[in-house]
Amino acid sequence: MIAKGLNSTFWLELVYCAAILVLISRARKGLKVPTVYKVPGLDAMDEAIGRSTEMGRPVFYSPGIGDLQNAQTLASFATLGYVARQCAKYDTSLIVTNRISVVYPVTEEIVKQAYAEVGKTDQYNPDNVRFFSEDQFAYAAACVGVMHREHPAASILIGGFWAESLIFAEVGSQVGAIQIAGTANTHQIPFFVAACDYCLIGEEIYAAGAYLSKDPVLLGALIGQDWGKMVSVVLIIVGAILATVAPKANWLATILKQ
Amino acid sequence: MRKEGPVAFGLICGLVVIIVTYFSAPALAKVKGELDQWYLIATAFAVAVGLVNLAQIHMRKINQKKEGWGYSIVLMVGMVGFLLFGMTVSSAGDPKFQWMYNTTVVPMNATMYSILVFYIASAAYRSFRIKTGEAAVLLIAAVIVMLGRVTIGEMISAMIPKWTSWIMNVPNTAGMRGVTIGATLGGISQALRVLIGIERGHLGGVE
Repeated sequence: MIAKGLNSTFWLELVYCAAILVLISRARKGLKVPTVYKVPGLDAMDEAIGRSTEMGRPVFYSPGIGDLQNAQTLASFATLGYVARQCAKYDTSLIVTNRISVVYPVTEEIVKQAYAEVGKTDQYNPDNVRFFSEDQFAYAAACVGVMHREHPAASILIGGFWAESLIFAEVGSQVGAIQIAGTANTHQIPFFVAACDYCLIGEEIYAAGAYLSKDPVLLGALIGQDWGKMVSVVLIIVGAILATVAPKANWLATILKQ
Repeated sequence: MRKEGPVAFGLICGLVVIIVTYFSAPALAKVKGELDQWYLIATAFAVAVGLVNLAQIHMRKINQKKEGWGYSIVLMVGMVGFLLFGMTVSSAGDPKFQWMYNTTVVPMNATMYSILVFYIASAAYRSFRIKTGEAAVLLIAAVIVMLGRVTIGEMISAMIPKWTSWIMNVPNTAGMRGVTIGATLGGISQALRVLIGIERGHLGGVE
């Protein structure tokens, strides 16, 4: 019934999703949800926006170059909403750049809505949410130009980044911006860690929405993520032991390959 | 309805895709095929929206002769030129269209990609400073790996390429796999939150 080779994946994913739903349900009923550890990159968002406000320079935001189907882009929207609200509250200019044309109307609406929520609809500048190009390096070149011309005091790069990640990080450093970056693309994380002031590594970008909003329901879902990781660690340890002591009788590998 | 409608539609579409992925459901597979086509059509319309945004911003810059308006003219000429010429040819594989693309876009992309070399050097100069223990580990590992990747490393010591392989195959791979597992679980959680509607950032900030 289940497609070949996906049996274990299906059941593991089902149990994982059930755990998240249970925790969401607990949070909705007002039951206590464990606290999450501090994420310096997310705590620094207010510091970065405050710096831009004091210096009178804009905040630069990029949701990455992934399309709407990419979970990293969806995670970026939660952060963008928070950053846009804070910028609207403190009258700080926010420049949002987009590579994917489908993402552009969403980011435009998020920023517009954020200004409306704090009652400053008239201060929303539609020219600050920009679509540049579907081409990766054309987008990168355009963002470099924006950074050199506008001199942002803060650069927030959350989403799916590929080869252009270091270009953004280095140019941000050249113009003197405080940089908060996050991506789940493992091949780009080292560049962000080396070049940015704060880096959200992998799953931390998915925690941003819950962490910044402090919504108990979203925090409950985060805890489910941690439970999934704990199960993965147990499976890894058991699998490593079995592969070492009984490589030919590794029943765990056999089950997981089904 | 403004809040619930898009969430319900997203949930139904998401469930269709998930069911088709895990189970054999020919009827739903056809629905998924249709949804994929709808996405492509919506993307095409979104490109038009993006083009309008670009044109608005740069035409305003040209009209008001703001700083850098000359570059806006170059952009508009290039964008409109490609668009009009593209409409006259039969497909993107047309030799003339390909020539235009290969002589303009490809070299410009290569230029931007090659700038990375200099940015890697400047990032290395900034980050490879021994301020903390972790920075020292980063510097030592980076030096070993960089030397191990070029012939001079083997000339200095036959052990350097072996240390390089060990660093890349053991701690680096382990770390990256750990991040990948965490990111994958985070992605699944994110997708679930979007499907059941408790995370609505993608709906344009609708609360």
